[in-house]
Amino acid sequence: MKRGQFSFVWIFAILAGGAILALAIYGAVQAGGTLRHVSDSEAAKNFAILTDPLHAGFAEGSFGKISFRQETRLNNFCFNDGKFGANELSVATRSGVGEEWILPGEPTSVYNKYIFSKGENVGFDYGVFSKPFEFPYEVSDLIFLMDGEYCFLNAPEVVENEVLDLGIDNILFGNCSSEIERVCFGSGEDCDSIVYGSCSGGCDSIYDEGVVSKASGELRYVGNLMWGAIFSDNGVYECNVERLMYRTKSIADVFASKTDLMDARDCGTNLKGDLIVWGGLAGNATSGDLTSLANIAETMDRKNNLEDCKIW
Amino acid sequence: MVRERGQMKIMQMLFMIVGVFFFFVLAGLFFLGIMFKDVRGGADELAREQAISSLEILAAMPELSYGDREAMSLDEDKLRVMVEGYGASYGNFWPIASLEVYKIYPAFDSVVPCPAANCNYYNIYTDPRYENLQVGDSGQGNIEKVSSYVSICKRIRELGSVYDRCEVGKIVVGMEEISEVGE
Repeated sequence: MKRGQFSFVWIFAILAGGAILALAIYGAVQAGGTLRHVSDSEAAKNFAILTDPLHAGFAEGSFGKISFRQETRLNNFCFNDGKFGANELSVATRSGVGEEWILPGEPTSVYNKYIFSKGENVGFDYGVFSKPFEFPYEVSDLIFLMDGEYCFLNAPEVVENEVLDLGIDNILFGNCSSEIERVCFGSGEDCDSIVYGSCSGGCDSIYDEGVVSKASGELRYVGNLMWGAIFSDNGVYECNVERLMYRTKSIADVFASKTDLMDARDCGTNLKGDLIVWGGLAGNATSGDLTSLANIAETMDRKNNLEDCKIW
Repeated sequence: MVRERGQMKIMQMLFMIVGVFFFFVLAGLFFLGIMFKDVRGGADELAREQAISSLEILAAMPELSYGDREAMSLDEDKLRVMVEGYGASYGNFWPIASLEVYKIYPAFDSVVPCPAANCNYYNIYTDPRYENLQVGDSGQGNIEKVSSYVSICKRIRELGSVYDRCEVGKIVVGMEEISEVGE
């Protein structure tokens, strides 16, 4: 065998072998990326399903923790199409191999839940709790998501009791370190957000309605929407409130039709007109309309309670 | 002669390289096949979990539930309203492929869709893709169904007094079977 011929065979083999190895490595990286995308997409779907048992149902609320094995970015994008809208959840996990963060997996659209949180949440553990929203009838459970700890200062007893009853360990009271987000009730120093209550007459607490003031703006709330205003970005909050108002209107339509069926079997009510007007007002309402709508809701609730055949 | 042997060697090498290349391609395809079968299985499992956990959530929705006092109780008036068009208008809002409610006691011989006299079946929502399925089908087509017992109640006024009259029913939730769609 000539020396030149031997070298050529080896050079050829090395080049071809190198090309195959390069292709194999490229294929493995691509497959790894696809697997990561799939696993991130599954994580978002799983997250949506894991919030199912948190529906408060007949309880005052419920709290749970959702943990990931790796650090995770959980994006909550709320979109409002003028109807029921949706929360689109997507997940990106941190990886020790290759790119640290890649684009999130396929988003999971959740149409029948109202998830209040920041737009982008980062962490291993997420505190999630739910509270019912009644306006004046039960509209839906609200789900609140926290990726860190919050410090409540000057919180009224009713708020403190609610947190302690649910065992929400992401919310601390009193002396907190300066790194934690600080939420002040009424007044306080170095506050990231301040809750101003404005409820007067027939309220459990002055904070049954009011405004949450943040650097990014003011968010008006009624009832349990206070928690949403505290934990959410402005965009997510406004969008979810508008989705909720559309749902309120849809339920009012169902109730209005229900009154006809009840009338037909001599179990009538006088609320049909109120429900039709209420549906019209709620359908296009924003968070700015909440306080005025709350007064009408209270009047309707009183009327309903006087009926033998209650609508709700 | 030497040149021919060299060419022979190169040919042998080429065949070998092509063989190895195809081996890796086939191995890769096999791996991807297994991987995506897992993904489909995972998606099915997630959809099943969602359907099961949806049962209670759907029964508690204010559009269907009978007040806020009883668990797993549906309002017959609301069911009636939902079958008359409202259910379909909710569209994507339902996190499922179909939602039906049957009255199961007293036992019936045939399914009578509501609204009708002595009806026993409420088809609240069916994803438009599955509308050709027959009434009462279970586990057919690409829908797998899960169910739970419920009370179906309405408020009645009789002889001057108002009371709740309830019957035994079954809520049936259908979920899309992804693996069958792709196969």
